[in-house]
Amino acid sequence: MMKVNLMRTSKWKNLLMVFLFCISVSAIVAQVKIVGKVSSKKGTQPDGISVQVKNTRFGTATDNVGNFAFNADIKNGNYTLVFSGVGFETSEVAFTVSGKEVVVNAVLTEAAASKLDEVIVTGTSAGTTRKQLGSYVATVKAEDLNKGVPSNALQALQGKTAGAQITQNSGDPAGGLSVRLRGVSSVNSSSEPLYIVDGVIVNNSSPRVTNTQGNYDGGNFVGVVGQSRIVDINPADIERIEVLNGAAAAAIYGSRANAGVIQIFTKRGVSGAPQITFTSNVMFSSLRKKLDVNRAATKFGGPTDGPTAQTQDILTPTLTNTTAVSRYDYQDLIFGNATGTDNNLSISGGNDNTKYFFSGSYFFNQGIIRNTDFQRFSFRSNIDQKINKWLSLNLGLNYVNSNANEKPDGNSFFSPMNAVTILGNFHDLQSRDGLGNLKTIGNLGRVNPITVIDDFKQKNTTNRILTNFGVKLKPIQNLTIDYTMGIDNYSQNGTTFMPPFAYNVNAAFFGGGTTTTDPSLNGYASAGSSNFFGINHDLNATYTTNLNKDITSVTQVGFSQQYERNTFLLSQGRGLAPFVQTVNGASTIIAGSDSRSELSISGTFIQQNFKYRNQLFVTGAIRRDASSVFGADNRNQVYSKANLSYVLSSTEYWKKLGVSKWWDLAKVRIAYGESGNLTGIGAYDRFNTYQASSFGSRTALNSSSTLANTNVGPERQKEIEFGLDLSFLKNRVTFTLNVYDKKVNDMLLNRFIAPSTGFSSLLDNIGNLQNRGFEMVLTGMPIKTKDFSWEITGIYNHNRNEVLNIGASLIQFGTNGGAPVALIQGQPAGVFYGTFFMTGSGGNFSKASNGLPNHSGLVLSPAGIPRTAYGVQNSVLGYTQVDFVAGGPAGQGNPAPGSTLLRKVIGDPNPKYTTTLTNEFNYKKLSLRFQIDATYGNSVFNADFRTRQGVGNGKIAELEQSGQLPRGYISGFSTTATVPTGIYAIEEWRVDDGSNVRLRELSLSYSVGKVGKFLRDLSVNFSGRNLIVWTNYIGYDPEVNAGGQSTLLRGIDFGTVPIPRTFSFGIQAKF
Amino acid sequence: MKKIFNKITVLSLAAIALFASCSKEYSNPNAASQPDVFASPKGITGVAVSLQRSYSLGVHSAMMSSCGLSTNEALIVNVGNVSEALLFNGGASVDGNNGLLGLVWINNCKVVYDANTVIDAAVRNIPDAGYRSGVIGYASIFKALAYGNLSMYWESVPDTIGAPVTTPSTFIPRSQGYTKAVATIDRALAFIAASPISATFTSDVPAGIDIVNTLQALKARYALYAGNIATALTAANAVDITKTSVMNYDALNPNPVFITVTSSNNIYQPLDSTLGLPLTLRPALTDARIPFYTTIATSTPRYRMNGFWNATTRAIPIYLPDEVRLIRAECLLRQATPDAAGAKTIIDAILQQAPAADALGVGASIAAGYTGTVDVPNLLNEVYRNRCIELFMSTNRLEDVRRFGRPNAETKRKNFPYPFRERDNNPNTPADPAF
Repeated sequence: MMKVNLMRTSKWKNLLMVFLFCISVSAIVAQVKIVGKVSSKKGTQPDGISVQVKNTRFGTATDNVGNFAFNADIKNGNYTLVFSGVGFETSEVAFTVSGKEVVVNAVLTEAAASKLDEVIVTGTSAGTTRKQLGSYVATVKAEDLNKGVPSNALQALQGKTAGAQITQNSGDPAGGLSVRLRGVSSVNSSSEPLYIVDGVIVNNSSPRVTNTQGNYDGGNFVGVVGQSRIVDINPADIERIEVLNGAAAAAIYGSRANAGVIQIFTKRGVSGAPQITFTSNVMFSSLRKKLDVNRAATKFGGPTDGPTAQTQDILTPTLTNTTAVSRYDYQDLIFGNATGTDNNLSISGGNDNTKYFFSGSYFFNQGIIRNTDFQRFSFRSNIDQKINKWLSLNLGLNYVNSNANEKPDGNSFFSPMNAVTILGNFHDLQSRDGLGNLKTIGNLGRVNPITVIDDFKQKNTTNRILTNFGVKLKPIQNLTIDYTMGIDNYSQNGTTFMPPFAYNVNAAFFGGGTTTTDPSLNGYASAGSSNFFGINHDLNATYTTNLNKDITSVTQVGFSQQYERNTFLLSQGRGLAPFVQTVNGASTIIAGSDSRSELSISGTFIQQNFKYRNQLFVTGAIRRDASSVFGADNRNQVYSKANLSYVLSSTEYWKKLGVSKWWDLAKVRIAYGESGNLTGIGAYDRFNTYQASSFGSRTALNSSSTLANTNVGPERQKEIEFGLDLSFLKNRVTFTLNVYDKKVNDMLLNRFIAPSTGFSSLLDNIGNLQNRGFEMVLTGMPIKTKDFSWEITGIYNHNRNEVLNIGASLIQFGTNGGAPVALIQGQPAGVFYGTFFMTGSGGNFSKASNGLPNHSGLVLSPAGIPRTAYGVQNSVLGYTQVDFVAGGPAGQGNPAPGSTLLRKVIGDPNPKYTTTLTNEFNYKKLSLRFQIDATYGNSVFNADFRTRQGVGNGKIAELEQSGQLPRGYISGFSTTATVPTGIYAIEEWRVDDGSNVRLRELSLSYSVGKVGKFLRDLSVNFSGRNLIVWTNYIGYDPEVNAGGQSTLLRGIDFGTVPIPRTFSFGIQAKF
Repeated sequence: MKKIFNKITVLSLAAIALFASCSKEYSNPNAASQPDVFASPKGITGVAVSLQRSYSLGVHSAMMSSCGLSTNEALIVNVGNVSEALLFNGGASVDGNNGLLGLVWINNCKVVYDANTVIDAAVRNIPDAGYRSGVIGYASIFKALAYGNLSMYWESVPDTIGAPVTTPSTFIPRSQGYTKAVATIDRALAFIAASPISATFTSDVPAGIDIVNTLQALKARYALYAGNIATALTAANAVDITKTSVMNYDALNPNPVFITVTSSNNIYQPLDSTLGLPLTLRPALTDARIPFYTTIATSTPRYRMNGFWNATTRAIPIYLPDEVRLIRAECLLRQATPDAAGAKTIIDAILQQAPAADALGVGASIAAGYTGTVDVPNLLNEVYRNRCIELFMSTNRLEDVRRFGRPNAETKRKNFPYPFRERDNNPNTPADPAF
């Protein structure tokens, strides 16, 4: 249905002003014809290069073959022609006018990143130069992305752009990555940016087609686990990536840009003879750090091994007798060295009318968990065709097939990591019975990690097609119209097969039950599939005109339409027949899932830009969007943006200052923008509905625990950004500073309401969230000679996130790994809020390097065990500790009357800052680059460390078992105690400092150059990722997250596979 | 002139594009909408079935864990289960942040809310009287159970469950909560008396529950807890104790206690053969109800869950026939003119009953019967003792400990603090009890 709404007065005014401004200028007849041809150093004839007589309004753009011609009303004399365009450095060519026609040719240099005149494509047809931007947009080029041999485009981006915190959540070969641009931007919905590949809006969700078991997470909040679908993009196809950090830069994307935008551009053909490029790499990955395990000679209670042996002796303080045991290191059972290859072949070329780029790629990499791997086949073809002088077409096709052999995710207790973590390490896991079957482990029916590695089969397959089709029209001079259609279509299938266990495994882990192996329960199979179809249409028009000698106007209008359809199917069962791996073999069918959703978004925008003498740039834009997700009253949203850029160093005044010899550039900028999240809630979340499920062979219609709200609206982000760009000494030193204040209003929250209302939460726009911070980029080239150069880049990001309002003082989230995640007013999002060590007055809690609490500063029980803090909780953050009073079991004391368990903020997973230092040395044909990333001040909830002590395979357990700590130090619960006397339940014990410095990338390459007749260029390289990590973290690696790509669950280490150390060797040959 | 024309065209196009927009409505194929559900008898029955589903898959097991761990019936196995461990510690360790208590509060409130919507819709939108009385009777069972549960755990309970978010409910003392449960049942019984439940309705809900008997048994239970002895006795006498009412499980929806507790052996297990009772009240070692409820393992913990929680498809009763007999005995002892001899007869019958003679297989097989002094205080002690044994882990012990005036030392808590979820969002929430 088409609706025409009445305009509001203010919008009228804006338009009217532009309109009046435009018509007040009259056209003048030209006197001199200026013609010429533009070519690039690489031999291409670029189109769309802006050509302008400096300090005048006369100019045009090149046509499809680099030719230009225009008339200018100028007198005889000396002038300068300025050439600027996408991917090229701006060039100035002097010429003299003495007759009716003058010919000026130019050869342009392909631009390097972060140069001021480089063209940025911010969702508009013509692009704009960095000089004009009031906001910061980072660009990373292919050669910088692929030096560290990444397996994923986002991995490649780590540490390369200011304002982005990119975290690898899992060390699995297809492990998901999270991108936070200037902090968390939402709570209820994803904080992942919008991804656009060649104009296609690309879905980066993590459908859970594996790890689908209902009791995988016990109904708990696990976050967003699994692969993130950007893994399908072959990094070698990428030409460059532009990162728009916040609303100030991304406002033109309106409704879906709340978390920023990442635009990926793939390689395109250039005219000339076919160029064949072949690259091949071989990778070797290994576990970077092995943990030291318990070596105690005895354990408490029970037989040495076998089905009755007490697996969790430490957690059963009634056991005081000891038994001699052998100790094992189970890490060797699950971890192995991994290899992989990455092969790419591309052909590009073309003529003036047709340009093509074809590529094929095969990537295979094993995980450091045995029997896990990831492979990806990818084919791409990008074709650009010029039909005539005013019409050109382009078509991009990308087919991807990804296959992963997985193991269950860390959040389950039958994942490789957790299967090891939850076993006391005194069981001989490799011992088998007469039939060759593994034996029951201990008294709790745990899964043998060997079964997980050898017998579990979990596969994840994706078939994906990304298509983009574009038309570019230049019907009249200075008007460009372009249309882009993008289709993203994928089907992701996951299968799980957990064969019936030959030994007793508890039913919660899909075993056969306590003491028997009930055939109706033993084993599990599932098949899940997720199908996604997304289509977007974008139609833009750009009109450029010179208003007078000094002012140029660029007007853009655009229309966008997006549609998404998602279906999910799951079938699962347990109690498997022998040999059958599909759900058909299940004797007990478990409830499956069948869900579908559809949504559409449409939007229009107008943007007006004025340039004054190439030194002052002003831009304003309004965008209006509508989404089917929200109710009629909130469906239509208007977003505005404005920015200003002033290049001081281009002014006459600056030239007179006399600093221009050593000071090349000074630019100040300010930008304001708004954006929203029109996909912030699910397609139908605004309705109260009843979900059906089978129960007792009847259908139950279940009411939701969330009270839906048809009046709910999208969030709105308002960002203001100030920036400064400086460069000195012929651009050998450059400096960029961005300061921003980004506020999210009307934040959507599933706010808690009194359960006596009949519901536990209400979806409403009640919150406010703020991110404030600054980013600095400093590059320098201390040495630059003919043979040797040294370039340094430093990036520093500082972000402070604060939850301003959540409609309550505290919202706590129960999580699968036990992390006490909370939203608290005045605190960063997702802090850990939990119980802590009693310190008395003035004491402080700290941990020794092995994780043992330092006793100085803590209040201890008479037995010498640290106490949990009790006292009076005055407010969410305020409390008064009250020491225990005499009494209690064995005289260990009781909390004073009226005391309760206290809680405080015990950690914050948001880093205080992240920083990167990159050094690049080039000596003749040899180049060395290394990148060091540092994250400082983030907490990690180390759930696994504590579990290791409880089940008895950790080093603190060793101290208790060997008598160096009193019995009950870790877990002092007993049948007679009324308070915990051990430290196991103290949540603060699990919080570790996750600060780390890592050698993220190291690359050494040698360019052999031309070899023989056919090989135009050959280079060899050696590189590494995550080679060294300097940290005090007690686990494997602080850069993991059991919550996956979740917005709220950050910094949780619970069964997550650590990030491996990877070396690679490769060659690149061009024919 | 042409230029100007172009500019005008472009800008007009822009203006049109900017202020016109398409909007679409997509309907949700995955779930039923609220108005549709309550307009049809089958939809209303579907929501009624969800009451049993929610009760038997969630509410009951959370009640078992929290009550059992607080009253010494159960022993914590893995203190990594924080909420359970803190309940097991009891006293000051239990606060409004306890996740398990939060679940009990939220889920019981939810059952009451949903039952109210079902009963209201049945009255309005089900024309068939027999079908209507079935829906009301069936839904009232879960509403009464949920109101009773809240009253067993907390000193005060919400007066109006389903109050608007902006004007949260006030609170009433627990005795009035029990009275509300009884009133719910009375209303249902009146509908059923007017038109008996139709067979069509019975076949539309899961098998296992005898609606009228269950209503009478629950009426007896909550009238007794409210102190209304005469009503309790009348209702208890109306129950046919040869019949049972159970929540059935199958492979698709397995017994949650078996799956998470018994099978995993990683949450709690029975304390021991005393079933958590003090020295003077312990069951005799020959009491056949001990092996019914527990098994003995060769590794620690020695005592393991058995009874209604030992298999995936084992049914859990809503009430036990002998609970009804014990209510009769207790009423005879507590009524204005106590009937000690009558009470002794009932207690003897319970003690002497062989497991095979009980509708659910719970029997003591103690041939001697009751051998103590026949007077009201001693027989009340015996009723308490037998309730604790016969109704092991049935979530009634918290109320029993208070009603029989047992000392604080015999339990970890007698009342629970109000969950923070309620307190933070409802200023009417009363102060927390000390113990």
